[in-house]
Amino acid sequence: MLDPKDIQHLAEHADDLTQFDTSQKMTWCSNCGNYGIQNALKRALTLEGIGRNEFLMCFDVGCNGNGSDKFECNTIHGLHGRVISLAAGVKLANHKMHVIASGGDGATFSEGVNHLVHAVRNDYPIIFIHHNNENYGLTTGQASACTAKGAVMNASPYGVNIEPINTLDFVLSLSPTFVARGYSGEVDQMTDLLRKALNHNGFAFVEILQACPTYNKETPDEWYAARVNDVSALKEYDNTDIWAARKLVEFGDQDNVPTGLIYHNPRDHNFMDLQPGRENIKTTLVDEVKRVNINMLLER
Amino acid sequence: MNRMRIKITGESGSGLLSTGDIITKALEEIGFNIVSDREYPSLIKGGYSCYTINISTENIWSLSEQADIMLSLDKQSLEELHDKLKPGGHLIHGYERNLDKTLEKMDCEVTSVQGRTIAKEQGGSFLMVNVVLIGVLWKVLGLDYKYVEEEVKKKFASKPKLLEIDLRCLKAGYDMAETKFELEIPKAKKDQIVINGNNAIALGAIHAGCRAYYAYPMSPASSILSYMAKYAKDTGVLVKQAEDEITAAQMTIGSMYAGTRAMTATSGGGYDLMTETVSLAGIIETPMVLCIAQRPGPGTGLPTWTAQADLNLAIHSSHGEFTRLVIAVSNPTDCFDLIQHAFNYAEEFQIPVIVLTEKVIAESLISVDRFEQNKIPIKRGLSTEEHQNEDRYKITESGISPRWIPGSQEAYYFANGDEHWESGELTEEAEPCRQMYAKRNRKAIALEQALPEPEIIGNPKAKISFVGWGSSKNTMLDIIAENPEVNYLHYAYMYPLKTKVLNQFFKDNSNVHLIEGNYAGQLGQYIEAKTDNKFQGKLLKTNGRPFFLEDIQDYINQNS
Repeated sequence: MLDPKDIQHLAEHADDLTQFDTSQKMTWCSNCGNYGIQNALKRALTLEGIGRNEFLMCFDVGCNGNGSDKFECNTIHGLHGRVISLAAGVKLANHKMHVIASGGDGATFSEGVNHLVHAVRNDYPIIFIHHNNENYGLTTGQASACTAKGAVMNASPYGVNIEPINTLDFVLSLSPTFVARGYSGEVDQMTDLLRKALNHNGFAFVEILQACPTYNKETPDEWYAARVNDVSALKEYDNTDIWAARKLVEFGDQDNVPTGLIYHNPRDHNFMDLQPGRENIKTTLVDEVKRVNINMLLER
Repeated sequence: MNRMRIKITGESGSGLLSTGDIITKALEEIGFNIVSDREYPSLIKGGYSCYTINISTENIWSLSEQADIMLSLDKQSLEELHDKLKPGGHLIHGYERNLDKTLEKMDCEVTSVQGRTIAKEQGGSFLMVNVVLIGVLWKVLGLDYKYVEEEVKKKFASKPKLLEIDLRCLKAGYDMAETKFELEIPKAKKDQIVINGNNAIALGAIHAGCRAYYAYPMSPASSILSYMAKYAKDTGVLVKQAEDEITAAQMTIGSMYAGTRAMTATSGGGYDLMTETVSLAGIIETPMVLCIAQRPGPGTGLPTWTAQADLNLAIHSSHGEFTRLVIAVSNPTDCFDLIQHAFNYAEEFQIPVIVLTEKVIAESLISVDRFEQNKIPIKRGLSTEEHQNEDRYKITESGISPRWIPGSQEAYYFANGDEHWESGELTEEAEPCRQMYAKRNRKAIALEQALPEPEIIGNPKAKISFVGWGSSKNTMLDIIAENPEVNYLHYAYMYPLKTKVLNQFFKDNSNVHLIEGNYAGQLGQYIEAKTDNKFQGKLLKTNGRPFFLEDIQDYINQNS
């Protein structure tokens, strides 16, 4: 639940909140999880006082990518599977901007899974929202690497016959610094997690279990609502303990879906601080485009 | 002076590279103009390699295939490469075993020393035979000892104990040999640098304000990455070895979109992986600079050899239609200049610019005048006016719309890889789609007008003429310096194709031939498709080797 203070803040800063609203025609299905996710993101940005010129959004291709012109701010809508690398390039050029990237389960765990691996390892200071609706929505409902075994999908008429990837277990195995999970039916929790992610100085992996009313009828928001358990309610759960986190997600089952800030262990330095020659440099690469005298290099 | 042609042969891992480097640097210090290149197989140890050095007191740009003097570090490489020594040339070796069978096949004068014995006598190991042989070579060439001594000192400065032995070996080799050549010695050391093309590309990019370099290792582009990384502390350039070429391209376009200057380089296979990103740059009109260091394909092909076979790739890669620029470099000087122009064209026209280099350019060391800095202004093509969102992709006559750095002003936009309208909002309506598609493509008209015409080297009219691109220019320069009956039209800006000077060249010259390092004659096909000109003949080469002076001389002899 949002703090009453935050509700007050949103009421008082209604213009900040609505500046992101679009006049474009929405093209998502009714009850699509994307509405809730956008809503939460708008709130999180407003509550953190982040203005339009202080962040950039990067979109993969898929249903969430069709939101790239429905959030009034600077956006880039790139290629399928590549949004994490794209967002890293944006962020490294301008570390003063928050960079928020989003991609679906097809992009993240099939087409571009290598980028996820290396983004976690490099701890690029970006937020990545994993829109996990357990299928390829925009191409009309094929199975993804996150589709449940047995599900009958477009192009899998006899049912998917292999197990899905356990997404959080996978990410936690890579020594991440921030792993969170929410679901698209609970805007307050998503708002809270996204605010935490906006304050994280590293790669923030935020998975949203997303309702897909057209191609994943099995798990609507209500289905998740009945099964999720926020880790903040767990006694003795230490979300800075990687093994506790891995154990939690490894043995999670259909009827117990852990959500919340699952793991959080920020490092002292982010990627940019570790780059040779860039220690203590405050300017961004964007500020620095100018003539460089090469005499010193020619002497070597 | 006539050029002096030196070839050092040896196994990969036999110390060939450091031997060649010491000799090259010492010759540079004397003030010779130098061209050197290393031919080697794609493996770390074993296989035969050679290091070729040509020197002159005049400017030279390319290599001769034959050598006047061959320094052989081992038997296998001599067996393989002995025919590269010209008849009557001079062979230096340090074998203690019988070489008569090999020498029977050769017509040459020989200076041989007991390499291992000498090295041992000086307290060294067999590893120091190379240093003995450097001393021998230096004496055979009749050059001042202090230059080679100085380079050996520099090379082994970090190992003082070994240095002492190395210097004794060098002196022993030097004292043992007789001078066989009388070289014209340069009067003074010129204000020149000896540099390879990859370092020159890196320096040009740094000079032009490139602040990020993303790449995945691939020969022969890898040394740009190592050079950038080596000097990152001095330049502050962000250098990132990405997990693959797709990532390198994506990080480059992301950084360029954010508003800095970034670059990536690879070879043909890596570029194949980047092509989808190039297409994205086309539709979101984000500038991009990509460098393809060519080697023979297809597939893995010949990773450590050279080619000019990816022109068609550069021109035709990526789905959909959009404006792009393809530039080809030739030597360190134009590497330094053209990469700067590449950034300017990319930003002013908001297009991907593909820069083609070749293994022989990337790795050959050439003496060139110290690079002229501050000659090419940094042109970013960024608008400083206040804009509305819909200005970003405004339909304009030239096709170029205002671009500003995201976040730098109130107006914002959607850089949308889906077809879009003027502020980047998605559209699938027929007429806006048609207009936006045409806008992006008609930038090519303004671009073509802005590009320089190809350059004519030599007299406007000649008995035999060539048209080409890339490293061919270097060999043509050396041919034309000796022969005023030959001229050459050189394309640095390859696509879109400039045709005015080309058409005049064909009018003025009746015996025009194509020179290209590929099978199809890719530039030639393109010229013949775009103009009414026809080539009299084609000099094509696809064996992984660059054009040597002999290749062109033989072709001229047969065709004039």
